[in-house]
Amino acid sequence: MISLRRKKSILAAVAVTSFALVASAVPANAEVGVSSTEIKLGTTVPMTGIAAPGYSKVAPAMKAYFEYINDNGGVYGRKINLVIKDDRYIPQEAINKTNELILKDKVFALVGQLGTANHLAVTSKVRIASRNIPSLFLNTGYSGFADVKKFKTSFMHFPTYVAEAKILSSYIKENFTGKKTCLLVQNDEFGADAEKGFATAGLTFDETVKYVSGTQSATTAQTWITRFAGAKCEVVVLFSVSSATAAALGVASAAGYKPQWILGSVGADSTTLKIALNNPQAQALLNGAIGVSFMPDALDTTDEYVKLFREVNTKYSPGVDFDTNVLVGMNAAMLTVQALRAAGQNPTRRSLIAAMESKGSTFASAAYGNLAVSRTSRAGFTGYWFGKFNLAGALIPLDAGRTVYTTDSATGPVTKASAKRAALPAKGIPTNS
Amino acid sequence: MSLKKRVFAVASALAITTTALVAVPTTASANPVCTNKVIFTECVGATTDGAGYVIQVPARFSGTLFLFSHGYRYPINIPASIPLVGGYTVVNTPQPAPGQNAAQITEVATQMLTKGYGIAGSGFARQGWNADSGVKTNIELIGIIKKQFPTVKNVVAWGESLGAFITQALSENNSSLISAAGNLCPAAGSVEASLKMAGDALWGLKSFFDPTIQAGNYKSVLEVYTDIGKVLTVLGSLQAAFAANPVTPAWPATSKVPDAVKAIPSRSALVLVAAMSGVPTQSSSYDGATGPGPQGTLIATQFAAGLSPAFGALENMGGAAILAIMATYDIEQQVGGAVFDNTATNYATQLGDGLFEYSSALSGLDAARGLLGFLAASPRAKADPAAVTKMRALVSHKGVFNVPTVSLAATADNVTPAGHAQWLAERAAEKYLASASNKNSKLAATPRSNFIALWQRTPDSYTKFSATGSPISQSTVNGTGHCRTTTAQYMAIADILAKAAVEGKLVADGAFRSAIRKGGGLTYDRGFSVPLMKFYQN
Repeated sequence: MISLRRKKSILAAVAVTSFALVASAVPANAEVGVSSTEIKLGTTVPMTGIAAPGYSKVAPAMKAYFEYINDNGGVYGRKINLVIKDDRYIPQEAINKTNELILKDKVFALVGQLGTANHLAVTSKVRIASRNIPSLFLNTGYSGFADVKKFKTSFMHFPTYVAEAKILSSYIKENFTGKKTCLLVQNDEFGADAEKGFATAGLTFDETVKYVSGTQSATTAQTWITRFAGAKCEVVVLFSVSSATAAALGVASAAGYKPQWILGSVGADSTTLKIALNNPQAQALLNGAIGVSFMPDALDTTDEYVKLFREVNTKYSPGVDFDTNVLVGMNAAMLTVQALRAAGQNPTRRSLIAAMESKGSTFASAAYGNLAVSRTSRAGFTGYWFGKFNLAGALIPLDAGRTVYTTDSATGPVTKASAKRAALPAKGIPTNS
Repeated sequence: MSLKKRVFAVASALAITTTALVAVPTTASANPVCTNKVIFTECVGATTDGAGYVIQVPARFSGTLFLFSHGYRYPINIPASIPLVGGYTVVNTPQPAPGQNAAQITEVATQMLTKGYGIAGSGFARQGWNADSGVKTNIELIGIIKKQFPTVKNVVAWGESLGAFITQALSENNSSLISAAGNLCPAAGSVEASLKMAGDALWGLKSFFDPTIQAGNYKSVLEVYTDIGKVLTVLGSLQAAFAANPVTPAWPATSKVPDAVKAIPSRSALVLVAAMSGVPTQSSSYDGATGPGPQGTLIATQFAAGLSPAFGALENMGGAAILAIMATYDIEQQVGGAVFDNTATNYATQLGDGLFEYSSALSGLDAARGLLGFLAASPRAKADPAAVTKMRALVSHKGVFNVPTVSLAATADNVTPAGHAQWLAERAAEKYLASASNKNSKLAATPRSNFIALWQRTPDSYTKFSATGSPISQSTVNGTGHCRTTTAQYMAIADILAKAAVEGKLVADGAFRSAIRKGGGLTYDRGFSVPLMKFYQN
């Protein structure tokens, strides 16, 4: 017979949901997706399709890190089983696959979902919040996801695009005043967030080119570059996804157009560049471009997190090039392990969310700065450092101290961050509680 | 199947299953006329309001009889000159079993009788939105049934669409008369939920594509006919434009939007109308996830995310819009004035995250904002307050479940979207919550509910393309269309309801799950959820 306290717990967990119930429907044992030996997690990402180059490495990287943890005792003895579904970066497919993860695979929580439109479709059509299903470490910077009232079970990984744009603005205003400055931006919430950030920071552009997501190609990039060149843009900010950045850099290079490129963090990925342009040396196109990152550079083997993640990648994903996508995936996985541990020895969806709220800001991570998550916010990281890409496609810090800048998604100023990055847990295996 | 064809099919089906219908009295009869058909006894008659009915009870009767309430039938004749729906004549033919056409109604009725279930159904005295009178008719009919067939131990009420609305109302207010209830492809809550979707969609079509569409406040049947014609003309123009140039289809000649708006593909305006009103963008032929050729290519992705929602909206909009015109006229006639009012509606708010979810289909954020800006400045419809008051006095639901109740909804139903059933599910959850929060309640310690929601979910991908990449029209995909339930699904629900009626409770036991499996294409998962109707989101 289950205890009265257990009964109350079950009832409370069910009470927040909005579905039909029948007499035998209330589970009498463990939380969905949690058994005595396993915690089942799920994610939908573009494993195929136009966004797959680069992004298809994120979820397998998470899985590789989970396997590393599993080989080292798991989470309180339970192995993590990550179920990966291909959403092809199409919102309806994200809805379909997320329903599969919840209804068929019976996952405990979602992790590392990728793409703003996809996750918005999932939150509105699958209604994960009203069903109390956690979605941890979203790989998108859409500022709207920080709204705890609307997305009470979703938690961000990336800093917001608004904050990134504000931080980029401060650098541009300080270093390129008087130069003709132009912007490539996606014509959706990604771009809207960026434009909001630039506007808030008081940065205006001489030419702004917008593209509709899914239309980026060498053909469309030709029109962008023609406009930038025609406007005599000296500084061009590519606040775009990797495939669009690649198309723009490829076309510009072929045309001999060489402005000072400034790259948003989303699109500055050498892996995608090489695949998209079908050129193994295409990372050289990044050479000299200014970029920002909230993580160490994937090629920086002096970084203790990068070093550990590279070792994990070599062992558990043999043959996979370690890049920013792998780094992002493994970082999200390491954060997830800490969240699961913080949720207790017998985690529930409710305890996982509570753990994120109360302890998420203390989790160790490769990112510079802490997660901004709390009971009142679902925001992810908040700090960026500036660098310049070299011929190898590595982002080299502009200053030896790797100054990290931070700001909010509102009207707050851009300041130097004071928080120090937490040290890597021994052997990269979290032991928090 | 169109509603017109469906009504015709119903009439012809009943000619097969109940040949005695020709003798159905049109005035109240104290005693029905009964005929022994060897394997079943059939009784026909009319209730005091003149509604014809038919009752069929098999020789090997289980004691459980199913009272069916049919869905919405147009309340007015439609001249043959009107495309698609023209030639319709109002029929009050009783329908004792559900089905999409003559063959299926016969099949369902036959299988019900073979299983030992009795069946009955009224044709109702008036067509159109008839929930108030429909409930009264059913109450009287149940009395006739029990008097004529004393062996009836349990009456299960079930119905489709408007018939489900009648069933739920009967269940809430007269639960002592029935033992279980089935709400199939239901309208639920209040008539306003349906009229809100209808009104928003019609007003959107009017604003973007033909400002001469009246979209409510009808003073005559002629105005209704004219509006149907105009809406069909708009949809026909869009269909031709989509076929000619699916990426940047032209706007209908009747559109008066400024050139700046016309620079946006007309398909995006149609997607906006669907998304803001709640008409699904997944349809019988378009899944929103598949494109021509190998999946994952640029062209396949662009079709799936950018074009498919528009094609789906177009396929869904015809049925939704025509019913919208008819239902709006119908209710206006009943309450004496215009009932649709969007003077306070913020369509950007109502669209919500659809603005980003459909970013590609809306041709980007700037285009979407341009379309929304145009709508914001477009003339609004204002209701007659007295008429609205009368409309709100029509029977509505409280969302209580006094007898075991099962709902069935298709996730891409274009006439009564699954958000209706979700409203019922959420009321059931609230009731449970209220019980669970009471520490001293025995109900809290042994939680139970009288409600189960079943869903017909669309497959992950089902759009088909020809060798040249053209989409192929389909009409039988699970989870799409209005009340496209298979016979196996009907029978699964009938078996679940019959067991619940006998036992007085719904239990998701082995028999329940076995029935679900046999039904095929049914999802039972208490974790499944769909968006509410826009009316309930506001």
